[in-house]
Amino acid sequence: MTRPGRIAAALFSSALIVVIACGGRADERAEPSSPAPFEATGIITFGSVSLNPASEHEVFRPFVDHVASRLREVGIGRGRVVVVDSISKMVEELNEGRIDVYIDSPFPVGFVWKRTEIDLLLRRWKRGSETYRSVVFVRADSGVNSVADLAGKMIAFGEPFSTSGFLMPKAALASTGLMLDNYEDAAASIPPDRVGYVFSNDAENTMFWVLKGKVDAGAVNEDYYQALAGSRVSELKIILTTEAVPRNLVCVRRSLDPRVTDALKDLLLGMDEDEEGQGVLKGFEETARFDPWPGGPERQLAGIMDLIQYVEEDVGQ
Amino acid sequence: MWASEIIGRRDARVRIGLRGRFIAFVSAIVIAFGVVLTALAVRVQNDLLRHELDERGKLLIAVVATHVTDSLALLDVRQLRQLINETREQENVLDAVVFDEDGRVLTDGTIENPLRHLLIDDAARQHVAVSDALLVEFSGDVMTVTKGVRLGGRLIGGVRLRYSRAGLAKDQAVLARKTALVGIVFGVLGVLAAALLTEAVTRPLKEVIDATRAISEGKQAPHLQVRTADEVGELAAAFNEMTRRLRETTVSRDYVDRVLETMGECLVVTRRNGTITLVNNAVCGLAGASEEELVGRHCGELFRAPKGYASLLHALNPEGSVHGLETELLSSTGEEFPVMVSIAEMDESPGRSGRYVIVAADISERLRTERQKEEFITMIHHEVRTPLTAVRGAIGLLDGGVAGDLGERGRELVANALRNSKRMERLVNDILVSRKLDFGHMTFHLEEMELMPLVDQAIEATASYGDQHEVRFDLDETAPGARIEVDPDRFIQVLTNVLSNAVRFSSAGDVVKVRVNRHDGYLRVAVADRGPGIPEKFRDQVFEPFARADEADWRNKSGTGLGMSISKAIIEELGGAISFDTEVGGGTTFHVDIPESDKLRESHVD
Repeated sequence: MTRPGRIAAALFSSALIVVIACGGRADERAEPSSPAPFEATGIITFGSVSLNPASEHEVFRPFVDHVASRLREVGIGRGRVVVVDSISKMVEELNEGRIDVYIDSPFPVGFVWKRTEIDLLLRRWKRGSETYRSVVFVRADSGVNSVADLAGKMIAFGEPFSTSGFLMPKAALASTGLMLDNYEDAAASIPPDRVGYVFSNDAENTMFWVLKGKVDAGAVNEDYYQALAGSRVSELKIILTTEAVPRNLVCVRRSLDPRVTDALKDLLLGMDEDEEGQGVLKGFEETARFDPWPGGPERQLAGIMDLIQYVEEDVGQ
Repeated sequence: MWASEIIGRRDARVRIGLRGRFIAFVSAIVIAFGVVLTALAVRVQNDLLRHELDERGKLLIAVVATHVTDSLALLDVRQLRQLINETREQENVLDAVVFDEDGRVLTDGTIENPLRHLLIDDAARQHVAVSDALLVEFSGDVMTVTKGVRLGGRLIGGVRLRYSRAGLAKDQAVLARKTALVGIVFGVLGVLAAALLTEAVTRPLKEVIDATRAISEGKQAPHLQVRTADEVGELAAAFNEMTRRLRETTVSRDYVDRVLETMGECLVVTRRNGTITLVNNAVCGLAGASEEELVGRHCGELFRAPKGYASLLHALNPEGSVHGLETELLSSTGEEFPVMVSIAEMDESPGRSGRYVIVAADISERLRTERQKEEFITMIHHEVRTPLTAVRGAIGLLDGGVAGDLGERGRELVANALRNSKRMERLVNDILVSRKLDFGHMTFHLEEMELMPLVDQAIEATASYGDQHEVRFDLDETAPGARIEVDPDRFIQVLTNVLSNAVRFSSAGDVVKVRVNRHDGYLRVAVADRGPGIPEKFRDQVFEPFARADEADWRNKSGTGLGMSISKAIIEELGGAISFDTEVGGGTTFHVDIPESDKLRESHVD
């Protein structure tokens, strides 16, 4: 997407703060600070960050409906999905109490966690895996043999809010002392002491851009790398593999009724144990299960928080 | 069981009838027409659909190629994936890919993108490298269209789309349903049309059938309306004509029946074996039995076998007929009626055996009349001729002077009496001869002898009569040695009759010419006078008994009126003939023809 196009999309999405729910609007949600007992007419709101709210809504809708239908005992009558186009918006929505549950990858969650009152509830096994890593790769014949060789080069990342496609590899690169600058044009001239980067907005784009020499390097989820390289993997070379981080995290607004939080936690933990729940999880980006943080959430988040400092500005956009 | 089934099927086939066959025939034609028409329509529609699909596929790839140009230039695979994904959702599109300038697939529109990095086939790559035109390939129902995408004249990639023409099957299914509907409509219309047409055609035929059935049941045949000028109309007209003639025939038959019932002759119809099948009233009356009693009996019980035959039907000639056969009809009361029977064989018609028609005329009255005549002749013979002979003898004695001189007056009276008695004697003799000839009782003593002496004897016998009338005979042509086989007395009787006849019609001083020669294989004696000739209206009666002309002069000169008829009967009995040539005022010539004896003629010829 060109820069003007991307800006226009972002403005459009921001202006709307797309609210897609089952017959309700964002302002119809239950007052988060209200201590009143939940009635069956209560609403639980799930939030997500995406530039494609419609498809995101489609992904979340069955899962949210299923969860909401199982929370009647704590007064929840229905579920709602709110999709925002930036992490900052998500912080704002959470702070305003318009979103109750936030599910995302570790870097956005870490960013939000630092700026709002949320609790890390569970880990989500998205696409069948509990953790993932990113790889930075170049053409094998590019002459780039290490991360240091990227100086003066252009690298392609995926989407600006993607953990594996951008935040994690950028943070990893930055942590090595490289200074990265964002460019709109992949053909831009890069100072020899800097590393330029562009957003391809798609892992497949990143792969082709590297293969076709549009950029010098690319960063994608390690899980996608082999599939995207395919028969041409021999033409590529990986120069960096990041540490593994949790795949996805489930956070709840701290002010949410504890009964709801507890009920939600119990529900999600046992969701993979019945056939209906398994079906819903499979449709929810092939989620295998939800489980507690091994060693506690803070321990798992500590490494991420160390890296976030390198991409904090990016996450907040 | 098998036989019954076969019979059942045969009956079923028969019951189909003209109407059923006609409906089936017309329906078949209309349906076949509909099927052919529909098949043609389907073919045309298929071609149109195929063409439309092809064009749609070509148009689609052209549109896609245009849309992907920017994304290809930017190598925005995500955008390309979205575009191709939308393309794949188009109707009849099997799959689509976008490839780069090297022919490697960038995306097939799916997230998985299994074709990623694969090369499209060489032909397509070579084509897009040099041509902007579409490359269209067909394989079965699949049409593959490839188009290169260029930017600023440089090849930056291309689009390859596989388009299913099997989608045609869906349209064809719709078309097939429509076709089937059309076929059904055609079928229904065909049957309806057939039914209407059949009704129109068979209604007149049914009228004819009903009318024919009415005739067969003895009812009055209705007059059929001739509605059309076609074959059916002709049939109706022909039927009307047939019924008209049938009515006439029926009338004629009634007429014939009445004639048969009223005719005097007996009419009997028998089968070939002689069994009586029909008799008329005359038979019943004569036989004294009713028709019911006679029908079924053998004709031999009704008719006595003719003399010389075993039965009546044995008298039939080879042609199956006989005429003028005399026999007796046997009545139930034992009486026998003489009848003259004629039998004719009726023509056989197909399917019918032959018949004999026997017509018998009651000849009782005729035989009675003949018997009376015979009795009359016998009476003349015995009661007239015998006394006349005695009278003539007595007068002759008187004329001879047995009773002395009678004086002049007495002699004149005796001479007159003698002359008239002779004349009466001739008349009686002629009558007797005539009757004998009529009944075939005349006896002929045939001898073979020369003709001329007989002619001379006849002339000599008539010469004195000629002298009395001052007429002489002149034999100016003869046939010396010619022989005939005759009864000389009877032949001379014929000649003297002809000669005396010539004398009577000749004037005093005339000469009667006598000529003998051969004519048409016969010996002819021609006697020619120079008399008044025979009046034209009398010429047909010359040889009739007692024939006399009206003219007084001619009548006065006639004899007994039996001479010429006797002469004709005699000469015909001898195998000859008599004829004449005459001219009023110019005289008459009688020709007596007699067969020449074969022996003599053969010797003469030798």
